Amino acid sequence: MSAAPQALREALVALLPRLRRFARALARDVHDADDLVQIAVERALTRSGQLRPDAPLSSWMFGIVRNAWLDELRARGRRARVFAPEESAERVGDASQGAHAETLAVQDALARLPEAQCEAVALVLIEGFSYKEAAHIMEVPIGTLTSRLARGREALQEMLDESGGTRR
Amino acid sequence: MAYADGELDPAARAALEAAMAADPGLARRVARHQALRARLRAALDPVLDEPLPQRLLESVRGAAAPRPAAKVIPLKRPAAPRWSWPQLGALAASLVLGALLGPLVLHPPAGGGAVITRAGEMLAGGALARALTEELASNQTPGSPVEIGVSFRARDGGYCRSFQLREEQALAGVACREHDVWRLEVLAQSPAQPPAAGGYRPAATALPPSVARTLDELRAGEALDASAEAAARAHGWER
Repeated sequence: MSAAPQALREALVALLPRLRRFARALARDVHDADDLVQIAVERALTRSGQLRPDAPLSSWMFGIVRNAWLDELRARGRRARVFAPEESAERVGDASQGAHAETLAVQDALARLPEAQCEAVALVLIEGFSYKEAAHIMEVPIGTLTSRLARGREALQEMLDESGGTRR
Repeated sequence: MAYADGELDPAARAALEAAMAADPGLARRVARHQALRARLRAALDPVLDEPLPQRLLESVRGAAAPRPAAKVIPLKRPAAPRWSWPQLGALAASLVLGALLGPLVLHPPAGGGAVITRAGEMLAGGALARALTEELASNQTPGSPVEIGVSFRARDGGYCRSFQLREEQALAGVACREHDVWRLEVLAQSPAQPPAAGGYRPAATALPPSVARTLDELRAGEALDASAEAAARAHGWER
C-alpha cells in the first residue's frame, strides 16, 4: 500500500470525533449519528478526487456528512423530526439525571430547529467554523448562513430558557 | 452575532467592546450569545471523548466493516470502493487536521511516530518531540528531520512552537507545551514546493494557511528572540 492513502485514512480517523459530534447534533440518536458518519466516510473514500488540493479536509468532510444527512432526511420523509418533540417531553422531565438531562434538553432543542438553522448552529457554535467556512460547507452565501444562524440562535435561546432556565 | 462568534477583526472588536462598556443592554446580549455557545458545547463536547466505535474505525481503515442496518438509515450506498492511488494522493496532499481531535492513532508517513495520541489529544512524539524540546530556532542542527519555525508565547502564557517535518510529505504544525508534553494545535500538509537550494525553505512562506492562521490566533506577541528562546528551553518550556 502506498503511503498517501494511509495518510488520508489516518487523517479521517483523526477527524472522527468531531464528525461524530457534528452528526450527533444533526441526528441526535447515537446510532443514527454513527451510521451517518460511516456513510460519509465511505463516500469520502470513494470521492476523494473531488477534493480540491487547497481545500481543507475538514470542511470537505463536514460537507459530506451534511449532504448525507439531507439525503437521509429526504428518505425518511422527516419522520424523525415529527416525533422528536413528544419523545423529548418524557425524557427531559427526568431532571434527576442532571448533566444527562441537560444534554438531552440541548439536543432536543436542536432537533426542533428547522434543519437549515440546526446545521448553521452546529457548524458555527459547536464546531467553531467561521461564517465563511460554514457557508461553504452548506453551499449557501454568507448572508444566508448568518440569517439562519441568527434565527436558529434566537429559537434555541427561547427553547432553552424555557426548559433549562426554570429547572435550575 | 459576529462578535460572539469571533468573526470581527481587532479594530471592530475594540469598537464593539467600547460600545458594550457604554451599553449594558448590548453587553447582556453578547453575554447571552456566549452563554448559549458554551451550553451547546457543554452538551455535545463529551462526544469527543467517547471511544470510537470499532465499525467506524474499520470503515476508515478499509477493513471489512459491517454496513449499518439499512432500516436505520436507508441511504443509497456507493458500490464497493475502488481505490485510486493518484486521487487519494491528491487528497492526502491537502489534508488538514483540526486541533483537539480526540482519540486517534496517527502515523503519518513523514516521520513515523512523530505524532502520537494520549487521552484523546494529539501529541508530538519521537524525533518531533525531541526537536521541539531541544532545538533552537536560531541555531538548528543541520540535517535534522524537524525544522523549527518560530517560538512564541501563547495568550495563556504557555510556550508554543511552529515546525515543519522535512520529508517528502512535508507536514507543518504548531505545538504548545503543556504538562511536559507538546500538544499539537494544528497539523497540516505543506503545499508542494520546489525545494530550494540546500533544502532550505523560509518558514513564513512555507506554512499552510491553516497553520499560519492557528499561529496568528495563538500568538500573544512577537516571536521569541534567540536569548528568550534559550531561556525558555533552559526552563523546560514551562510557563
